[in-house]
Amino acid sequence: MYDWPHWLIVVIVAPLLGAALTPVVSLGDRRVAPWWALGVMTVTSVAAVMLVMRVSAEGPFSYLPGGWRPPYGIELRFDEFSASVIVICLIGWLAVLFSLRYIEWQPGMAKARVPYYYALLLLNLGGMNGFVVTGDLFNLFVFLEILSISSYALVAVSGERIAEMAAFKYLLMGAISSLLVLFAVGVILSVTGTLNMADVARQLTGSAHATPAVFALGMFTVGFMVKAALFPVHIWLPDAHAIAPSPVSAILSGLVVKMGIVGMVRLYQIYNTAGLIDLRALNEVLIWLGALSIVMGAFFAIFQDDIKLMLAYSTISNIGYIVMGLGLSTHYSVIGGVVHVFNHALIKAALFFAAGALIYRTGLRTLTALRGIGRTMPVTCFALSIGAISIVGIPPTAGFLCKWYIALGAFEADRPLFGFALIFGALFIFIYYIRMVNAFYFQQPTRPEVLEVSEAPASMLVPTVLLAALCLIMGILGRVPLAFIEPGATRLLAPLGG
Amino acid sequence: MEVIDIRPALAPAISFACSAMVFLLGSNRFWRSFWMLSASTLKLAVVLSMLPSSLQGTVYVYDLIEFTPGIGLGFRADALGMFFAAVSSTLWLITTVYAIGYMGKSEHRVRFFGFFSLCVSTTVGIAFAGDLLTFFLFYEILTICTYPLVIHNETPDALKAGRKYLIYTLIGGAFILIGTVVVFDAAGTLSLGQPGILSHAAGVHTLGLIFALLITGFAVKAAIMPLHGWLPSAMVAPTPVSALLHAVAVVKAGAFGILRTVYNVFGVDLLADVGFTVPLKWVSAFTIIVASLVAIFQDDLKRRLAYSTISQLSYIALAAAMLTPLSAAAAIVHITNQAFAKITMFFAAGAIQRTTGKTNVHELAGIGYQMPWTMGAFTVASLSFVGFPLFAGFITKWYLSLGALESGEFWVLAIMIVSSMLNAAYFLPIVYLAFFKAPPGTTLRVAEARPTLLIPTLVCAAYVIALGTMAEVPGMPFSLAKAAVRFVFGM
Amino acid sequence: MFEALWDNRDYVAAVVLFCIGLYVIIAKDNLIKKLLGLNIMETAVFAFIVTVGVVDGGEPPILGPGATPPYASPLPHALVLTGIVVAVSTTALALSLIIRIHRQCGTIEADELREME
Repeated sequence: MYDWPHWLIVVIVAPLLGAALTPVVSLGDRRVAPWWALGVMTVTSVAAVMLVMRVSAEGPFSYLPGGWRPPYGIELRFDEFSASVIVICLIGWLAVLFSLRYIEWQPGMAKARVPYYYALLLLNLGGMNGFVVTGDLFNLFVFLEILSISSYALVAVSGERIAEMAAFKYLLMGAISSLLVLFAVGVILSVTGTLNMADVARQLTGSAHATPAVFALGMFTVGFMVKAALFPVHIWLPDAHAIAPSPVSAILSGLVVKMGIVGMVRLYQIYNTAGLIDLRALNEVLIWLGALSIVMGAFFAIFQDDIKLMLAYSTISNIGYIVMGLGLSTHYSVIGGVVHVFNHALIKAALFFAAGALIYRTGLRTLTALRGIGRTMPVTCFALSIGAISIVGIPPTAGFLCKWYIALGAFEADRPLFGFALIFGALFIFIYYIRMVNAFYFQQPTRPEVLEVSEAPASMLVPTVLLAALCLIMGILGRVPLAFIEPGATRLLAPLGG
Repeated sequence: MEVIDIRPALAPAISFACSAMVFLLGSNRFWRSFWMLSASTLKLAVVLSMLPSSLQGTVYVYDLIEFTPGIGLGFRADALGMFFAAVSSTLWLITTVYAIGYMGKSEHRVRFFGFFSLCVSTTVGIAFAGDLLTFFLFYEILTICTYPLVIHNETPDALKAGRKYLIYTLIGGAFILIGTVVVFDAAGTLSLGQPGILSHAAGVHTLGLIFALLITGFAVKAAIMPLHGWLPSAMVAPTPVSALLHAVAVVKAGAFGILRTVYNVFGVDLLADVGFTVPLKWVSAFTIIVASLVAIFQDDLKRRLAYSTISQLSYIALAAAMLTPLSAAAAIVHITNQAFAKITMFFAAGAIQRTTGKTNVHELAGIGYQMPWTMGAFTVASLSFVGFPLFAGFITKWYLSLGALESGEFWVLAIMIVSSMLNAAYFLPIVYLAFFKAPPGTTLRVAEARPTLLIPTLVCAAYVIALGTMAEVPGMPFSLAKAAVRFVFGM
Repeated sequence: MFEALWDNRDYVAAVVLFCIGLYVIIAKDNLIKKLLGLNIMETAVFAFIVTVGVVDGGEPPILGPGATPPYASPLPHALVLTGIVVAVSTTALALSLIIRIHRQCGTIEADELREME
């Protein structure tokens, strides 16, 4: 079943085609749109499951659309890191379900435009799927643009003034970073004459053009860093993620920023294999920026009253963990970092869904106003608490093992300072979450309406609770993703002799 | 001999299930009390059922989850763990009875009892933790579960104390976590099942780092000065919580962590070689004396007890740091001795407060006429702390002194003597005040606390005497402590 | 040094243009001008990629009667075409955002918008 070769193209084409057709199928009745999107995502998810089964059975494999061989044709390559598709599909599917009620309610969203919202969502998810499975640099750029442009638009859909400003800021930063990536692709093309990643790595091996390759690496890194919202180029993130509709925030925070990370992993694959440049300087930069992100993100998060803004800052902090894991470049830290890409996506989506459900019911979004909400929306608040302890990294939740591995990597690399930074960053975040739990459960309500709302509707509760349960399950079965990613991480580090 | 058995995991699970039942079905007073009492009895039975074979040296182990090779959650009921678990399970049962009486019809009782059970669940989890990670996990959950109990009254004072408590203990927890990571990096395992997993191979700097991290982390909950600040503030909590915090769960978890670090992570031989325990000895000795001095000047009864706790806990740290078999026995057995004596005092303080509304020492003049049984129990506990023979505290001091003689550290004897005098100086005036300083016109008009408050107090006081007089009887805590010492010192 | 720069003057020009665009985005307050800066950067990158494909004396890579090698590389042209499509869509989205900002706030000067927040 899983060895049908065309699943790899389905996972990209289904959502993109589905996006294009969404306005058409919902011409008659706009209420068809979410169900159509749900159907499309179901097909995509099936394909994703098949792909992951195949990669865990056979190892990485390629697909050549139209049978064109590289370097002439575009190669799609599915390896362990591409397994992100399964997380993308899961969260995408749940986000569509969550949007069912949420987007109808979203103030500033014209009802007639709802089908376009789903089209953008599918476009975004398709772009991400393409981004993680492509084996071609230019293709990488194209998918990066598909997912970025749809993200800018999704931030703006709520139609508030501040949303458009946030979207514009995001667009400018995002477009600059995309152009840096495109520039780097051009440099790579001029040096190697090819765009296929594996081929690029081969051509770069022993190449005489080390200087342009360094330039390209620099531009790629800065470009992806902006996409990943690493400190200090994170400035676009808090507003954009906080103001977007909650299901969109879940996708942006959980998945879209991770594409910058996947891009960096791809860079490491190319440059490590080529061995042309000593990557230690880059590693050093990533470790420090990662540590700064951890601490600064957590630090700013503490002072936020708006729950979504706080979640956005905590994303910056968590991106720091992942980047630091990559930068430390030890066996443990890379595995931990990459698995945290998956786990953080689950956790952050759970948190944004839960926060979205609270906002949907009460219309309030600050901790002060939401005091006492634990009494009226116990299930949502419980899911939020599970997500919170998970993101802090308390065992046996999903956040724990990744952080454990990254910390272990820091000590393995003889950099205990960064182990400290990591754990104290988690402590900062913990303080915030305690404030939150405190407000929800133990403090007297400041707003009477908080005590009159009822629990979130099923279409919101199901995704939230499911993801919260996954936070626990992925913690208990933590070794499954770790073991899954291990061959990929080993291959990534193998040329270094590590 | 290791036997795979589910009971070490079952014991925390019972309390956990009980807390779930309380949260779900606890709004009815009868059912809540029913669940609490039956669960605590059941748990005590489970723990005690392991006691006979544990005395023979059998260790029950149960691995719950393995996340990835070497890292997982596992339970292990060795003699040291059994010791702590038996104390906390016994006291849970007694405190439950007391708490049902004490809380009466106050607010948020479901929350109170739910988190109360969770705390005890995690305490037994700490006792039976088979590796450092499991230990850390339960240790942190304990921190979080105690927080709602500290802020129970939701007054600004309580919230402030709760915040202080969290900041102290969470930072301490972070130290422990870092220490755990370094231990894993250095030793490749986190097991607490051997007399020491580290070796000289790790290098003296790494060993020093680990020792500093773990001991600093545990010292926060063990309230070793200068990390004790949270404890007196946390006195705003209801009395059963103070009793639980100060006699059983929280502070003992810290002290137990120090014991585990010394005996199971490092091992006595390694520590004797590298000599890291010298600063720990000095700091504990300092705490013993200074905390007692501060206690003398506290007028609030509960605060005075809090400083006394700080002083008493450092006995454990000091005894552990001396690294001799006799002092180790003293360190371990002091967990029980201090727990029962201190909980007696807190029960008495709570009974007085509930019955008469008095919370300050100077108001207690003549209280012995009104509540003779309660104050009698209080007197027993005081004498135990002063170190009178026939009471529990004497056993600790006796073995600690023997240990000091064994290792030739005579200054410890001086500390013992000064500390006993200071204990007398801050406890005996209360007794004197209660029985001999009745305001003129007081007549013997007994108005004792209600039975649910009085009986637990008396039971604990009786046990303090039993601990002091029957220490050598097999099955009493001291025999278990000796079994633990035999394992640690490979005797 | 200068010789190397002169030999690669097309690349230098692209980098200079790129930096001009970046400067405009950072320095100008008017959102339209920021967008124009972005377009300048895009142009710089496209120009750079097109020059990559140049082969000295190369013919346009179109098969037909009279076509003789060497040919210029066709790949960069395909890339730039795709890139232009992407750039147009980014610009369109940005313009629509600017229109909506103008409608709601009555201004598109970044400093005035910041004051309103």
